[in-house]
Amino acid sequence: MQKILYAYPEGSSYDELLTAAGKPRPVARALLEHFEKLGPEALRQRQETADTAIRAMGITFTVYSEAGNIDRSWPFDIVPRTLPARQWRQIEAGLRQRLKALNHFIDDIYNEQQVLDDNVFPREVLEGSRNFRAACRGVHPRFGAWANICGSDLVRDADGTVYVLEDNLRVPSGVSYMLENRAIMKRLFPEIFAMCSILPVDDYPAQLASMLAELSPRPSDKPVIAVLTPGIYNSAYFEHSYLAQQMGAYLAEGSDFLVDSEDRVFLRTISGLLQVDVIYRRVDDDFLDPEVFRKDSVIGLSGLMRAWKRGTVAIANAPGTGVADDKVVYAFVPEFIRYYLKEEPILPNVPTYLCMREADREYVLAHLDELVVKPANESGGYGMLIGPRASVEERQRFAERIREDPRNYIAQPTLSLSTAPTLIGDHLEPRHLDLRPFILQAKDSYVTTGGLTRVAMNAGSLVVNSSQGGGSKDTWIVEEDA
Amino acid sequence: MLSRVAENLYWMARYLERAEDLGRFINSATLLLLDLPLGTRFGWDILLQITGEAQRFQQHYGQPTEKAIMRFLIADSRNPSSLLSCVHQARENCRTFRDLLPGEFWERINSLFLYVQDGLEKENIAEDRRARLDFLENVIARRHALVGLLVGSMSQNSAYQFIKLGRNIERADMGSRIVDVVSAVIPPEDQGVRRTVYQSLWVGVLRAMSALEMYRQYVGVQVRSARAVEFLLRDSKCPRSVRSCLADMELALAYLPNAGIPAEALRRTRRRLDQLQLKELTPAVLHEYLDQVQKDLSMLHHTIENAYFRAREKNDPYPHPSLQRIALQA
Repeated sequence: MQKILYAYPEGSSYDELLTAAGKPRPVARALLEHFEKLGPEALRQRQETADTAIRAMGITFTVYSEAGNIDRSWPFDIVPRTLPARQWRQIEAGLRQRLKALNHFIDDIYNEQQVLDDNVFPREVLEGSRNFRAACRGVHPRFGAWANICGSDLVRDADGTVYVLEDNLRVPSGVSYMLENRAIMKRLFPEIFAMCSILPVDDYPAQLASMLAELSPRPSDKPVIAVLTPGIYNSAYFEHSYLAQQMGAYLAEGSDFLVDSEDRVFLRTISGLLQVDVIYRRVDDDFLDPEVFRKDSVIGLSGLMRAWKRGTVAIANAPGTGVADDKVVYAFVPEFIRYYLKEEPILPNVPTYLCMREADREYVLAHLDELVVKPANESGGYGMLIGPRASVEERQRFAERIREDPRNYIAQPTLSLSTAPTLIGDHLEPRHLDLRPFILQAKDSYVTTGGLTRVAMNAGSLVVNSSQGGGSKDTWIVEEDA
Repeated sequence: MLSRVAENLYWMARYLERAEDLGRFINSATLLLLDLPLGTRFGWDILLQITGEAQRFQQHYGQPTEKAIMRFLIADSRNPSSLLSCVHQARENCRTFRDLLPGEFWERINSLFLYVQDGLEKENIAEDRRARLDFLENVIARRHALVGLLVGSMSQNSAYQFIKLGRNIERADMGSRIVDVVSAVIPPEDQGVRRTVYQSLWVGVLRAMSALEMYRQYVGVQVRSARAVEFLLRDSKCPRSVRSCLADMELALAYLPNAGIPAEALRRTRRRLDQLQLKELTPAVLHEYLDQVQKDLSMLHHTIENAYFRAREKNDPYPHPSLQRIALQA
């Protein structure tokens, strides 16, 4: 182990591949031994090959800047993150359970609102919700499934416990990178795949396509499915185009559609108008239909909400789903699991202080230097305060904001986030990471095998977002030898 | 195939063809002007007439000097038909259908754009004729590589047919314009002392259309007005003649659905071309005819647009098809 792990310090964080004593965990043993045999120079070369392949395959994401939008190559680390299959099955069951409960909640909120009457969820939280859409009241999507695609972020604390950090229920992205990461790894290290039993990930597009087909309101063997994208200047356009292509669906922009007088949705094609059954939308609620939401939206389609409510077209995720993508709602998910499913949560939440509660707020304000404070409705790691690393002024500024708008802030203890060995130059160093699996739900549910592992490439950093210097790794769910 | 994708393919091909044609015209004019006796009534502004951008030029520039015209035609992003604008537009269009074309196509069109951008920053293209000739030749060569890539490795599917339509309608349009403008400058009878001058003008035109060698092989060594016009408009073998462009479009339409109306417009254009009596042609009649060709091509464009890019219900207002440059976080 000396050669490539020489700079690997012992840390206080949990390492996914190595035990506290610095020995490879069983699922990573074959991998690390093989890396050791290859040696530093060969690893560096394979990293270069990977970078070249990513450029050639055009795997990019867009970074917005003042100088214009830049297409950046997807940052990828060749050292995979491993997880034992047995542990994964437990996580998978927890994720299904969670999404099921969340869908019950959304369906309830837009219909009977039993959860409010039973005092499980406070009415004032709903009233303060920015993502509740009154226009969605009374709609019954098929199978009661509003959130058909969910990306939940998982983190592991120092003691090895896996927590759900948040559930992305609006338009979660990243799954195409999960698939491409695996494609690259198979090209780079075919020999390791032959050595141990790594579960495949590539059935996701087929699962997504059949889940979407289940939502179709018209009985047909081959429903017409369209991916609605905001267009080429969106940061996730690569993914939109990738998924459409993999599913054999149309990749369409708002102006490609029209809604007729009978509230049916059509695509404009070179052979005329084509009726659409299912729209996998990658556009936020706000911009979905200028008739109902933001009037200035030019990336949505007028009349879509009429068609959806009349049931001529299915939309995934359903409009209004964002009501559950709120860090205050997040804190209630364990309660929802007990309330709707009569089950105990399999996966724990990170302990969360709700600043709207007076006692919690006082605690948060008194312990800002220990906590992570997050706005309820932001994503992408924006607008956060990492207490232990913030300056006195930053903490004061946040205290001010919390007092002004307590409903909009939550706080959590600073988790140490687990690490994994990451190739830095010609040797391995620990870097912090998280994991985003994707969960599908229509008639049944499905969880990706593993997910997208995001890694903070800067030493000591906890920020894994690709827009802020994060990279990614392939995620291996490894079957242990019997 | 979505109408928008078809439209973007068609326009990408038009923009690339326009960029190449522009490069050819400029290089050919540069070489030609070196041969003309001083004081000949022919200046750089002929390029403004051919591209139909004289009016826009006057809005932004003063004297039609070589430097100003070159800057306007090559490097000015305010001119939508400048080489820079065309290559930029072609690349932006290409972003929306990368997966329909062979993998290297995007990389190459992106590298063409970067080459143009860098070249215009580094070199004094407007004044340094040598640098300009090199630069434009490279642009033309890179464009040829793009076409070659498609011919060599793309299935002849609908996407291919829209590229073919765009390329040929632009080429026919540019071809008829250049014949029109040059004929207006040159009297039909190649007589008198200026005969060699006129001859070298037509040589320049044929060279600009990459047709000089073919003309010499099939028509003759002496380049005469009437024969050059006939060759450029009606030769069935020269791939840049208007006739060949129409024939290529006819093949493309035969592959596509709903081709009835565009195909009829195309046949009408071709019939008019066939019936033209080029022998007794006066300059005025030729001009009138070429004007008609321009109108026919414009009509053909509209029929293609209506048949493929504007699928709609009655009374459905079609939103503006230009790319939506809105970056929103999703």
